[in-house]
Amino acid sequence: MRLRIPVSWKSKRFWGETLEAYIYLLPTLAVLGLFTFYPFVNAFRYSAYDIGTRTVPGEPVLVVTEGVDDWMALLRRGRISEELSEFLHKKFSINPEKLWVRLRQADRWVLREEEGGREFVVLRESETLTVRPAVTRWDLQPVGWKNFEKVLKDRDFHKALLNTTKYVVISVPVTLFLALLLATLLNQGVRSRALFRTANFLPYITPWVAVAMVFRWIYNRDIGLLNYLLSSFANLFGTQASLFDWLNDARLALPALIIMQVWRFTGYQALILLAGMQGIDREYYEAARVDGANAFQAWRKITVPLLTPQIFFLLIISLIGSFKIFEEVMILFMGSGPQNSALTIVYYIFRKAFESGHYGPASAASVILFAIIFILSLFQLTVVQRRVHYER
Amino acid sequence: MYVLLLFTLVITALPFFWMVTTSLKEKTAVMRMPPQWIPNPVRWQNYIEAWNSAPFGRYFFNSFFIAIATTVGDVLTSIPAGYALAKMAFFGRGLILALLLGTLMIPGQMLLVPTFILVKNIGWYNTYQVLIIPWTAGVFGMFLLRQFFKTVPDELWDSARIDGCSRLRYMFQIAVPLVRPGIATVALLKFVGSWNAFLWVIVMTDKVELRTVPVGLRFLQMEMGDYHHLLMAAATMAIVPILVLFALAQKQFIQGIARTGLK
Repeated sequence: MRLRIPVSWKSKRFWGETLEAYIYLLPTLAVLGLFTFYPFVNAFRYSAYDIGTRTVPGEPVLVVTEGVDDWMALLRRGRISEELSEFLHKKFSINPEKLWVRLRQADRWVLREEEGGREFVVLRESETLTVRPAVTRWDLQPVGWKNFEKVLKDRDFHKALLNTTKYVVISVPVTLFLALLLATLLNQGVRSRALFRTANFLPYITPWVAVAMVFRWIYNRDIGLLNYLLSSFANLFGTQASLFDWLNDARLALPALIIMQVWRFTGYQALILLAGMQGIDREYYEAARVDGANAFQAWRKITVPLLTPQIFFLLIISLIGSFKIFEEVMILFMGSGPQNSALTIVYYIFRKAFESGHYGPASAASVILFAIIFILSLFQLTVVQRRVHYER
Repeated sequence: MYVLLLFTLVITALPFFWMVTTSLKEKTAVMRMPPQWIPNPVRWQNYIEAWNSAPFGRYFFNSFFIAIATTVGDVLTSIPAGYALAKMAFFGRGLILALLLGTLMIPGQMLLVPTFILVKNIGWYNTYQVLIIPWTAGVFGMFLLRQFFKTVPDELWDSARIDGCSRLRYMFQIAVPLVRPGIATVALLKFVGSWNAFLWVIVMTDKVELRTVPVGLRFLQMEMGDYHHLLMAAATMAIVPILVLFALAQKQFIQGIARTGLK
């Protein structure tokens, strides 16, 4: 085999343009390199390590030679001399009221800032004291596949996987189906379309934190709006509805989450589908009418098949998006739901890493999440792209 | 049919209505069953109380500052990068394209742990940098602008070049004004995304002074779970900037979201 060198490689202009293009790409590549590619590689690497932290003293910022005994006497009682807090306030803008002695040893004290989490080490070295900012060192111990074993055996992870799957499998088709119905309704030549369009977008663009807070309030067992509406509805039929404890009943946690998400995304998806419907040539419907098809048949045989690009697009992005759900859960339940009934994969990762400090297993769980998303993305790229019915 | 549509309208509007109604009630009226639909008396003071119950001035400043900085940064990095990928022939172009497209498959949450460790190591924990710099470049905006730049005819560049115009000047003075709708879309989506950022902020910082509005709301919720009227007032305040933006730029929003949906 002979390598063919493209003609352009020999031209000076091509290389000049190459240099110029990379200069234009540099900012993007630099930021992505540091904050996407590098962490991406590390996510795999860390999944094979046990990761612990160690606080070690850094370079001294203050050396005390006078009044050493007084300083130490205070530190032994867990107090900080005024000079020291003033110094730390000036140099590191640490609020003296938020500083406390976290660790007291014979010749070593660790001071901790309550909210910022910065730490300082006071070391006694013969006749002097030195103050040094603490540096976090990461201890990496290779453990092979142990993190994966741990995660895969962890019942919480099973629960997270199961909850996330249930959530995805229910919320994605329900939202899409309702969106299809809504789009069909909106496509019937509705007047004041602008009003409906705005209304359908609002849940989607409203900051989700606010939405989750409002739903938390709506789901309140005793004085929430939803239970009130349900019980009034039941009263109409002369029955008594029992109160649903949406937020504290393990069986109702996922439904509560799904209702909220369906409310948020149906309108948006309907608008995407509506745009697709309006792109369908009227002639198809004319032809169908001539052939004696009724409205439902036309919808089933013309509208839906010609909408497959939009439907599959929405299906894939909502599948991928739904697998990553977490933040909404945290606000809605102020935790992972009763008995972890709304614990999701990302919640599991977050909790493992940032609440328990088990960074290795959290990385392993991240890799598993990536595998799931990756398979879905590949599915989109290969199967769906080929099989979807595109008009023209 | 209209009945059905009206019904969907009511369902859409009800949570918003309930939020605003609750935010204007007295504490005792909030607890009343059956609920009061229209607050009586209307208590605007709730908004002042909610505002004062946490450093909301600071939270809003942070949110605006970070959202504006990341939006400007993202647009400024996406313009040259998107242009280069759309209009320039260079060595390794296919590879770079594939690499950048590939990042769309990486779930951001997967990067939390390694990024956290990185951020601790480079001393960016609890800084504004960590809330801004990593978000000043994005593949999404870049690809969108690339699509737009592709529609600019090459003849424009040819004639500009003959007149002695540098590429950088051509890009910003001639090409950019032609793709203004694309830039508006990128900026809007970035701003909204940044305003909503939550997980990143709680992982990369733990200082009150660096909290953004969503993070501030979460802490408010943990501190005063029972004060529904104040929480709803705070939630209303948090969505106002985005609603105002939506009202001002509704056309770009809708076109943008529809287009990014179907590129």
